[in-house]
Amino acid sequence: MIRVYGRLLGLLRGRDPHEQRAIKEDAELLLDAARARGRGAVAATWIALMWDLLIVGTGHDLARAVRSLVRAPGFTLTVSVLLGLGVAATTTLFALIDAVILKPLPYADPERLVMVWESNVARNRVREGPSPGNVEDWVAQSEAFEALTGWWTASATLRGRDGSAPVTGVQVTNGFFEVFRRAPLLGRTFAGDEYLGRPSIASGRTGGQEPILVLSHRLWQTLGADPALVGGTVYVEGRNWRVLGVMPSDFAVPDVGAAFWTPWDIREAYRGARFPDGPPRDFRFLRVVGRLKPGLSREAATERLEVLAARIAADHPRTNAEWSVRLVPLRDELVRSSRAELLLVFGAVFCLLLLVCANVASLAIARRTARARELAIRLALGAGRARIVREHLAETALCALLTTLVAIVLTTWSLDAAIAFAPPDIPRLHEVEVNAGVVWFAIAVALLATAIGVVLPGVRSSSPPIAPALKDGAPLSGHRASRVRRALVVAEIGVTVVLLVGAGLLARSFAGLQRVDPGFDVRNLLVLRIAPDVTRYRGAQVTDYYGRVLDSIRELPGVVSAAAVTALPMSTIGQDFYRPYWLEGARPEGNAVPQANVRMATPGYFDALGLRLVSGREFSAQDAPGAPAVIIVNESLARSAWKGQDPLGRTLILDYQNGPSPRQVVGVVRDARYRGPRSEPAPELFIPHAQNPYLVMNVVARTTIDPAALAQSARAQALKVDSDQPVHSVTTMERLMDDTLQEDRFAMLFVALFAVAGLITAATGIYALLAYTVAQRRREIAVRMAIGASSSSVARLIVMESLTLALAGAVVGAIGVAAVSRLARSVLFGIAPQDPLTLAATAAVLLTVVLAASWLPARRAARIDPVHFMKE
Amino acid sequence: MPDRPRSVERLLPLKPKTLHILLALADGPRHGYGIMQEVAARTDGHVRVWPAAMYGTLRELEELDLIAESDKRPSDDDERRRYFALTPLGKRVLSAEIRRLEAIVGHARASRALRRTARA
Repeated sequence: MIRVYGRLLGLLRGRDPHEQRAIKEDAELLLDAARARGRGAVAATWIALMWDLLIVGTGHDLARAVRSLVRAPGFTLTVSVLLGLGVAATTTLFALIDAVILKPLPYADPERLVMVWESNVARNRVREGPSPGNVEDWVAQSEAFEALTGWWTASATLRGRDGSAPVTGVQVTNGFFEVFRRAPLLGRTFAGDEYLGRPSIASGRTGGQEPILVLSHRLWQTLGADPALVGGTVYVEGRNWRVLGVMPSDFAVPDVGAAFWTPWDIREAYRGARFPDGPPRDFRFLRVVGRLKPGLSREAATERLEVLAARIAADHPRTNAEWSVRLVPLRDELVRSSRAELLLVFGAVFCLLLLVCANVASLAIARRTARARELAIRLALGAGRARIVREHLAETALCALLTTLVAIVLTTWSLDAAIAFAPPDIPRLHEVEVNAGVVWFAIAVALLATAIGVVLPGVRSSSPPIAPALKDGAPLSGHRASRVRRALVVAEIGVTVVLLVGAGLLARSFAGLQRVDPGFDVRNLLVLRIAPDVTRYRGAQVTDYYGRVLDSIRELPGVVSAAAVTALPMSTIGQDFYRPYWLEGARPEGNAVPQANVRMATPGYFDALGLRLVSGREFSAQDAPGAPAVIIVNESLARSAWKGQDPLGRTLILDYQNGPSPRQVVGVVRDARYRGPRSEPAPELFIPHAQNPYLVMNVVARTTIDPAALAQSARAQALKVDSDQPVHSVTTMERLMDDTLQEDRFAMLFVALFAVAGLITAATGIYALLAYTVAQRRREIAVRMAIGASSSSVARLIVMESLTLALAGAVVGAIGVAAVSRLARSVLFGIAPQDPLTLAATAAVLLTVVLAASWLPARRAARIDPVHFMKE
Repeated sequence: MPDRPRSVERLLPLKPKTLHILLALADGPRHGYGIMQEVAARTDGHVRVWPAAMYGTLRELEELDLIAESDKRPSDDDERRRYFALTPLGKRVLSAEIRRLEAIVGHARASRALRRTARA
């Protein structure tokens, strides 16, 4: 330790060996004195000695560094901002990875939690949600789990004091809170017998017991965060539910969208004439998580459950033949999709940081080279090398400090932005935060980056050989080093070209997506959703209610027409049914039965939506419950069912609700891209709402004015009919369509961000290299000018050098673009990777940036004064 | 040198650590470690000077001609050790600084406002 002190001392106070020895001896005396007082005193003395040596002893230099920063902020600020940007990007990704991948799940012994899937290898369905019947058997007969639970989510409408909102409720089976082992923040969770006889969210049946639920932290906050809410009730889907407790904010099962959890009684849900055998085994839709018994490995548990599954399959061959199970650690299941992507992006960002470091190093070398003469003169006049090292250290410390500050500030901003723009399916995104670990990471990376960027180049230049440096114009570093630097810049330009082309193509493709004809007129359409109480309206009452609501909306000035449908195009809310159909007398065998989306629509729906009828008629008031069962099909379905023949008047068998029944086609409508501009039209089939009065509907109104302006009045009109029925999600069709492009928008912004980062990197790279070249070739340039070269020809010389680099980089980039173009084709929409406009724009941007980056060095070269130089 | 009195004024006020170092030398020459011990002893350990900074200050004081290396040393001491002593200029600067501080203390005592706070 004392030797380290001595070495540092030599580095910093090398000029005066007497003084150096005196300091060291006195330090040893102080340490001897401290030893007599114990180890604490020794440690304190060491800290004081180091502080004294490094900070107080160099105080003058730190002060000088701050002064020189204020006087000429260019270098230090540029370096700090560049490094800060790189560190911030890396830290942001680290914070995301920390939250999504590294942090343990917020449950006790999370490694014992496994997700259970049903798997049928023969039919290539290996991740099916288990069926209620099978889950019941597993719970009763498996010895592998301490607890096992299943759940499913249902959308529901919550009504509060100020209107209603759609929420997601989770129906959980007995054992849910034992599996996750998380104590509630307030109140309590469900006791074992409280799962029995409870109603489910969507069913009209009461179940005999009072509805109960546990609130998510988020919903509790929305409802006013009142602790007295526990024990009170909330009004959901037409019923009052007793609130037993509130979960902590990081409890998000299955995801952050879960608003409340409510018990689900499998027996209660599947009884009566429709389910004579009890809970079904072939409705595979649950999500199941089990807590393994302590000490039991996942492999052993899988084995036991497979034996059980085989036994069940033998007992119920019709539903369970060939079906077995798969157990996946819950953590893997959660981060499954995002893990690789996040690590990949982290790798890319880290490479970017290294490039930034390399550029900064290049900048630092250029600066040192430019100042080599000054240093050499100072050394020749007897300035201590130690003094120069100290100045350098002080400057570096300042750089590191500023870099860290810039990085932490930028990270907090960019995390907010990342959370706002990231695709919502990244799990655990809500857990992202700037915690101590993230701050330490930022500090460590900032120090590392400063070390690479500023310290390394300084180590060499602090001791330049004096004589050659005084003989101006002599090269200070080898040709090899400058070739490496050149290659680096070319590579940076190449990567930037690929990113620029990518960003350009994505932007063009995005613009193309926005122009796609979805099949109907998206402009001037107001959309709202109504979820009436299941207890209030039944059958014909529903038809009557919607008739009155639509009439009252049509009364609004500015509304041309209005209609309702179960599932709207572009909308993610609403029930869609995917059911089998076939032609009369031609029921196909096996799995080959074609399926179509089934929707209920009121008369005038196609007219209001602007979805053109190709032939036949719209629904009318005559298509009542007693009238013949009719349907309207879209072109896709007509094509696949009747192969070009006229479908009007033909009959089709639809297996829906009460079993297969015949329905007659009365109309054919155009295809629509239901799930956004990217989606292809699918077979669709519409049933008159009156013939199958569905309760929860989306209402559309075509307007002559801006639909958003009518939102409030349309909602008020609907509430006028029955103020108790919640109206929510009022929006416009254009906004809905915009939402379907969320992922495309994210990809575009993300690549654009990288492209900008690449441009900055390439520009600094070019600048640093040229600045270095100019500094090194000053003598040569001065000679050229002395023998008659003009300023502009000297400037041209420098610019030509940068253009050569840019050209080489562009060639590298072009190869890169060709390599990734096949990959890009699958992402792009309606545009080829060789799009000439994009390529031209890329070239223009690159040229501009290259010229901008070489402007300053070129000007510096042009201003070299040969006379002044010769005198030196 | 005619500008001596002015240069004394120009060196004031002294930095606290400089003052402590000069005070430690007021009773006679000391070596570096002795200065550190003396400063700590006079201030009950509230003020400590540490070697790297102290030798920097000593060098500056030497350059300003406030202290000089001294030949007076105990005969039993390590002969490599450097002893420092106040120069006549150093003594003048020190007493000028003490007078300056006394004046400030006097003003403070005379101030009624300060007395009130002191009592409270």
